[in-house]
Amino acid sequence: MKQSKALAEYLIALADDELILGHRDSEWTGHAPILEEDIAFANIALDEIGHARLWYELAAGVTGTDKSRYPDQQVYFRPAVDWRCLQLVELPKGDWAFSMLRQYLFDAFESHRLEGVTASKHQPLADVAARIRNEEFYHLRHTRAWVPRLGQGTEESHRRMQAALDELWPYAQGLGAPLPGELELEEMVPHSHSLFMLWSSEVTQFLIEAGLDVPKSGGRVEVDRAVHSEYFPALIADLQEVAQLDAEAQW
Amino acid sequence: MIDTQWPRFMVFQQEAVGKPFIHNGTVHAPDIDMALLNARDVFARRPQAVAMWVVPADAIYTHTREELSNQGARQPADQRIRELADYFVFAKFDKQDQCRHIGEVQADSPQAAMSAAIKEFGSRDPLWWWVFPKSAVLSSAPEEASAMYEPAKAKTFKDQAEYPVVTMMREIRAKKKK
Repeated sequence: MKQSKALAEYLIALADDELILGHRDSEWTGHAPILEEDIAFANIALDEIGHARLWYELAAGVTGTDKSRYPDQQVYFRPAVDWRCLQLVELPKGDWAFSMLRQYLFDAFESHRLEGVTASKHQPLADVAARIRNEEFYHLRHTRAWVPRLGQGTEESHRRMQAALDELWPYAQGLGAPLPGELELEEMVPHSHSLFMLWSSEVTQFLIEAGLDVPKSGGRVEVDRAVHSEYFPALIADLQEVAQLDAEAQW
Repeated sequence: MIDTQWPRFMVFQQEAVGKPFIHNGTVHAPDIDMALLNARDVFARRPQAVAMWVVPADAIYTHTREELSNQGARQPADQRIRELADYFVFAKFDKQDQCRHIGEVQADSPQAAMSAAIKEFGSRDPLWWWVFPKSAVLSSAPEEASAMYEPAKAKTFKDQAEYPVVTMMREIRAKKKK
């Protein structure tokens, strides 16, 4: 019983990251620098929101809640203070370099996490991870194609990428903190800290090859997922505005 | 004004293993690797794909039926014999149809490839012809096909007309006014 509560908390944190990142990505729809990228980023945004739904549904299964209503309840009717996403995904979309680099940093971590969760002894968890992992392969391919092109492109693209990295790096350190519930799910889920070590050496090397200076220290890191950035309340208000006009509306 | 537009690439897609590659549209991209990723994003959803090719638009040598009947096939300006290369032959037979892969020829220039294609497949009298060297094609990797193209198949989609958003918003506003 205690374990199912921990698992639900873990799943909601995973889902919240995906949902908020997908929401920020979706803000590029109609605004990306070129039509093809507009479509690509809208695709990625939709994928992330779809992954959030899968995790929320699994959480509903674990807690015995109605699977068909639970994701919408969590997304549209949960107060900002109850969300458990990282500040990394809350930050405003910034410029194209910022959103692309954030997506890369997040997806590079997620690919390690999904690999670990795919091997989980908890079968429903492993199944969902495997399904998500197949789509994440492409996300990482897309962002891995862009990061070096921007890092080594023009003087301006390099400058923007470096500024994005300097700003994102401290927030990205939050990926290494254990997720809610993680410590009670021994042998069911991978340790965030071990994943972080893998991620850290991989992305550092990749960013250096992309012509960027990786900050020496992580800076101030807020790892508590109950503490949100100054940008989060406005994001949630925006996200929930229409649904809360009429909670009973049938869309 | 400086032209900041990226180069254009033709996108070809195969709907099932064993079916011919069919021209599906064009994408812009800074280079051919990005073009393949863009092609996936823009075109992989419907109809479904198992493989894609991208080809720089300027690598494609074309003739229309009209051009051929008016002027005949153009000859290469330079008549020296060069190295033979493999060319893909694509043709469009009907206005509603898309340009599809119909065969291959070997030739030492695009013009010679076109002449060889017309000689071999001319009885089918297509509306237009495309030839391009095999070496100009970037093909998706078979081992990546599942990750690149499978997820799109499982995605349900709704026609926008199925979302009664305008009606809904009107009702909500009317309710609020009361």
